[in-house]
Amino acid sequence: MSSSVRIVVALSVAACVGVVIARTGDVVAQEPASRAATPAPAPMFTQYCVTCHNARLKTAGLVIDPASLSDVGAGAEMWEKVVRKLRTSAMPPAGAPRPDKPTYDAVATFLETELDRASIAHPQLGKLPLVHRLSRTEYQNAVRDLLAVDALPNEVRIDLLLSPDNVSSGFDNIADLLFVSPSNMERYLDAGRKIARFAVGDPAMPVLVNIHKLEAEHPQDERVDDLPFGTRGGLAVRSEFPVDGTYVVKVELAGGGRERNDLEVTVDGARAALRTIGDEGGGRGRGRGAATAAPLEFPLQLKAGPKVVGVSFVQHSEARDENTLRPRMRSRGTQPAIASVTISGPFDVKASGDSPSRKRIFVCTPSTRFARSGQAPSSDASDLDCARKILSTLARRAYRHPITDADLQDLLPFYESGRKEGGFDRGIQRAIERLLVSSQFLFRIERPPANLAGGANLAGTVYRVSDLELASRLSFFIWSSIPDDELLDVAIAGRLKDPKTLEQQVRRMLADPRSESLVTNFAAQWLFLRDIDAKRPDEILFPNFDETLRDALRRETELFIGSIFRENRNVTELLTANYTFLNERLAAHYRIPNVKGSYFRRVTLPDGSVRGGLLGQGSILTLTSYSTRTSPVLRGKWVLENLLSSAPPPPPPDIPALRTEAATTGKPLTMREAMAQHRANPSCAGCHARMDPIGFAMENLDAVGAWRDLDGFNTIDAVGVFPDGTKFDGVAGLKKELLRQSDQFVATVAEKLLMYAVGRNLQYYDAPSVRAVLRDAASRGNTMPALVLAVVKSRPFQMRQAAAE
Amino acid sequence: MFIAKRALPRRTFLRAMGTVVALPMLDAMVPALSAFTPTRRFGFIYIANGVIQNQWNPAATGAGFELTPILQPFASVRDHINVIGGLSHLQADTFGDGTGDHPRSSAVWLTGIHAYDRAKPGVEVRLATTVDQMIAEKIGETSRIPSIELSVDYPTQGSCDSGDCFYVNTVSWRNATTPNPTESHPRLVFERLFGDGGSAAAREARNRSDGSILDSLRSEVARVTSSLGAGDKTKLGEYLDSVREVERRIQHAETEPAEIELPERPTDVPENFDQYTKLMLDLQVLAYRADITRVFSMIMSRELSSRTFAHIGVPEQHHAVSHHRNDPELIAKKAKIDVNQAQLCAYFLEQLKAAPDGDGTLLDHSLVLYGGGMGDGNLHRHADLPCLMAGTLGGAFKTGRHLRYPLNTPMSNLLLTLLDAAGMPIEKLGDSTGRLPLEPLSV
Repeated sequence: MSSSVRIVVALSVAACVGVVIARTGDVVAQEPASRAATPAPAPMFTQYCVTCHNARLKTAGLVIDPASLSDVGAGAEMWEKVVRKLRTSAMPPAGAPRPDKPTYDAVATFLETELDRASIAHPQLGKLPLVHRLSRTEYQNAVRDLLAVDALPNEVRIDLLLSPDNVSSGFDNIADLLFVSPSNMERYLDAGRKIARFAVGDPAMPVLVNIHKLEAEHPQDERVDDLPFGTRGGLAVRSEFPVDGTYVVKVELAGGGRERNDLEVTVDGARAALRTIGDEGGGRGRGRGAATAAPLEFPLQLKAGPKVVGVSFVQHSEARDENTLRPRMRSRGTQPAIASVTISGPFDVKASGDSPSRKRIFVCTPSTRFARSGQAPSSDASDLDCARKILSTLARRAYRHPITDADLQDLLPFYESGRKEGGFDRGIQRAIERLLVSSQFLFRIERPPANLAGGANLAGTVYRVSDLELASRLSFFIWSSIPDDELLDVAIAGRLKDPKTLEQQVRRMLADPRSESLVTNFAAQWLFLRDIDAKRPDEILFPNFDETLRDALRRETELFIGSIFRENRNVTELLTANYTFLNERLAAHYRIPNVKGSYFRRVTLPDGSVRGGLLGQGSILTLTSYSTRTSPVLRGKWVLENLLSSAPPPPPPDIPALRTEAATTGKPLTMREAMAQHRANPSCAGCHARMDPIGFAMENLDAVGAWRDLDGFNTIDAVGVFPDGTKFDGVAGLKKELLRQSDQFVATVAEKLLMYAVGRNLQYYDAPSVRAVLRDAASRGNTMPALVLAVVKSRPFQMRQAAAE
Repeated sequence: MFIAKRALPRRTFLRAMGTVVALPMLDAMVPALSAFTPTRRFGFIYIANGVIQNQWNPAATGAGFELTPILQPFASVRDHINVIGGLSHLQADTFGDGTGDHPRSSAVWLTGIHAYDRAKPGVEVRLATTVDQMIAEKIGETSRIPSIELSVDYPTQGSCDSGDCFYVNTVSWRNATTPNPTESHPRLVFERLFGDGGSAAAREARNRSDGSILDSLRSEVARVTSSLGAGDKTKLGEYLDSVREVERRIQHAETEPAEIELPERPTDVPENFDQYTKLMLDLQVLAYRADITRVFSMIMSRELSSRTFAHIGVPEQHHAVSHHRNDPELIAKKAKIDVNQAQLCAYFLEQLKAAPDGDGTLLDHSLVLYGGGMGDGNLHRHADLPCLMAGTLGGAFKTGRHLRYPLNTPMSNLLLTLLDAAGMPIEKLGDSTGRLPLEPLSV
């Protein structure tokens, strides 16, 4: 009995009807709650809706029969649509008679109560495959946490070794779209071999060649982060080095070269090499993009482990450069610039060394003296003990469950054959190779409880996932990675289902740096932030845009979202905050004074600043623009889709061309006048009447997010008017309007978060769960931790439904 | 055995020579072999967002057809191609399924099947085995890699009309529920075809090691699967299937007898789109020559692509330009993109034509299908599709003609005919109504 009570608490639903099967298999009948006291609001539907939505007209394919209100649950799919229209006052259409606000709310509440009740009585949790492949991002993070390898060099970068996953419906972790094919299998084998070799520090590993090009648009007249003060340009490469040995840093220069310059190579900030270059370098007269004849090579002796290798010029005290008007040119007149840095190695391997990954892997050392060198393989049984210890520790983490003897027997033959071939370490390396392609590593596998396993007649039965499965669900949700030892321990002890323990673990996980994936994986996908990398703003119209600015725009938004999440702020502050994160470059772009230096810091914005919140951030403004101009349509669509979850459908294909000048006078039309034309076309108006006004309010911010007063020669009119007459002026006005719809915004965050958390598309039958999440999160201030916790407590996250065979 | 060295004429390949890899003995390597039976090879190159049809379609039919502006790049291989007009893929039409005209175009191309909108409740991913995969199973079963799937237009990150991006990111489906991912990085394509640059001995060792891993995986999967009871094991089934398939490939790799000189592996993606695409096509020519794979598909442009073509004077995005709204300037720009793609395809055909193969050339013994599932990109029409066949498959077809069929003849009929030519006749494919009569070269 107790477990079912916990379920009820966990769902934060007071009324619970129907059959719930607990993990132990008890079938528990619950008392039905009394019906909602509100009378069915049939008269409202008859008065305002049925005129169009009747069996004869079927407007928008929707027929509302007030008689069916006696069993709302039976028509859940339709009524959920109706609720949405009522909650956003989207229907009846503007101009038609509408009920008053209390009636809207009462009817919506009645429907929601009925729908929630019906959903408890007849739960539908959708179809989620029992076997869920790790996404590429999850694999990458899992490898990082399992083997302590981060910042892998290009040649073994996991996002190159594995195929990208399909981004559908906004996220790349949707279970039924994580396909498995022989091509994937070949790539997993390849990746596993390369990663194992790298992590163990195989002295026989081949040379890796890692090219880092600096785009021509990367200005090199400033100090680069991670490089010493007093240097100019260049780049810092953060990279793991697999073994102790020689690595060659090869530098190709571009342009300039008439003056003497000192080129410095640093490792973790300390000078490793210095070379003077000058006219004799042969770079004279070379233009942008041209490399000088002979690249410079610097052989370095490096220890295994992560390092920052920097290549830059020592800053001279004279006037920096005369070329500030041509910020996109990397070659500074007489000053050389770095075109590429190639790090190759290892050559002449000294030893496997003492990298963090080796420390993580080798939790014990074989006792036999020469076993590790590979020269004198020993049959000492204590070697085997150590190998078992190493491999069971790794496998427990990798497979996310206690290791059986069968699991270990999968790995040991690979250890044995590797050991014969090249000693103890090679044995471990081979076993890790095998482990990284195990089905238990690559897939999250959830098993139906034993009493359900064979019973097709129990199809539709709802049951709670096991503690271990819940642990994996938690870690892949909050960390996009595998559970750590503490989480596994709690789950193995069977304590994770306890709501207090669960909440404690969620809070601990949110406080851990790995929860950054809620920004870099969840939020970045939700808000399409990844698109910023593909943007190519026109060079002539936006000469100020370069790679440094692109990086700064992305960084600002990541830091900003991270601060809202971590500081327990209400998520609506994503729209309204009065602060942001800036460095000198970005502050200049935003015309905010007194921010100096390349590091980012929190800046409180003056009252009335356009920059507070996502809508004022250059990243969002750029990714919603074309390469040559702003697009009120793209911006409006982005806001509707991502902030208010009411994405308009794509346009029909046969759009008539927009006129760009007035028919009578031939005078060029403003953007606003041009767009008024297709809102005059009824087939366009439905969507554009909602999209365009939002975009108009953002018109003072150009296609790379800089402020402007004029568009061409026209003063910008930043007033937007919604179909219902709501008027707002500029970004500030738009923010107020969005804040008025903040319930819808928070609901959008909750929907996206739930979808991401369970890895499937949400359907109408998930709406009651979303409402439960919203009620729970609202009681805790609608912070990100509150939303995450509410999602964790939701039915779709904690439970499964046995599929019909 | 002596094999003539041939370095690829591109800088990327020139750095060094000499990676020796075990490869099968080629017919071409053996002079004056008496009874020569050519190996048949297939290629499928997809172009997206329709074409400017009145600059593609020749007016005259038959052997006297004229090279229209978009077909002009095929002048050097004119006698080796058939331009096929009038075919349609009406299964890509809406059917009340709302948006998604673009995803349905790439989904329908080699299946003739309507792709339903998966985001709707109760709809699951279900398409069909594509024609390239059916052929690969037949003629590729003894080659090292039965088929390879390439793309030079990056998989999309944003939304895709209906949200079903997997329909636009590939045109090759292993079965109804498994799209094949594409390879975009020349280095990874090279490594997949020729190994990661080690010696023949290292490659053998790697195959042995992979073989024992795969063997061990089979028993693990059996154990894990049995613990799932009656639950949905589809994904594990796909995984096991993949394990077996890779095992099979390794077995074939072990029987490769001959050696060939290879160019050094490419390290990077060339920034210039033409160079990049040519490099990927060069790799495919090598794979044909070495008989590592006999079937490939390539997404030369992806539906909804936002690629810009600044190097040919089109700084705008491909998809945006394809909705030209009859604006002459945009039409001209879309036509430029169409010409650019035709040039790249023609380049590939020229390479095949230049490669001797038994009693003829690789082109003679191949069949390359070039086209897409969208006809008019501006209006999203799936009728009168761009469709061009090159090569005769060793004399199976006459070439050098423009064949025009009644409008809305299912393109699936052509696919049936191709399957016949590949030696695996089937009764019906998608919406096919029969076979497309292509006059054979010699009876």
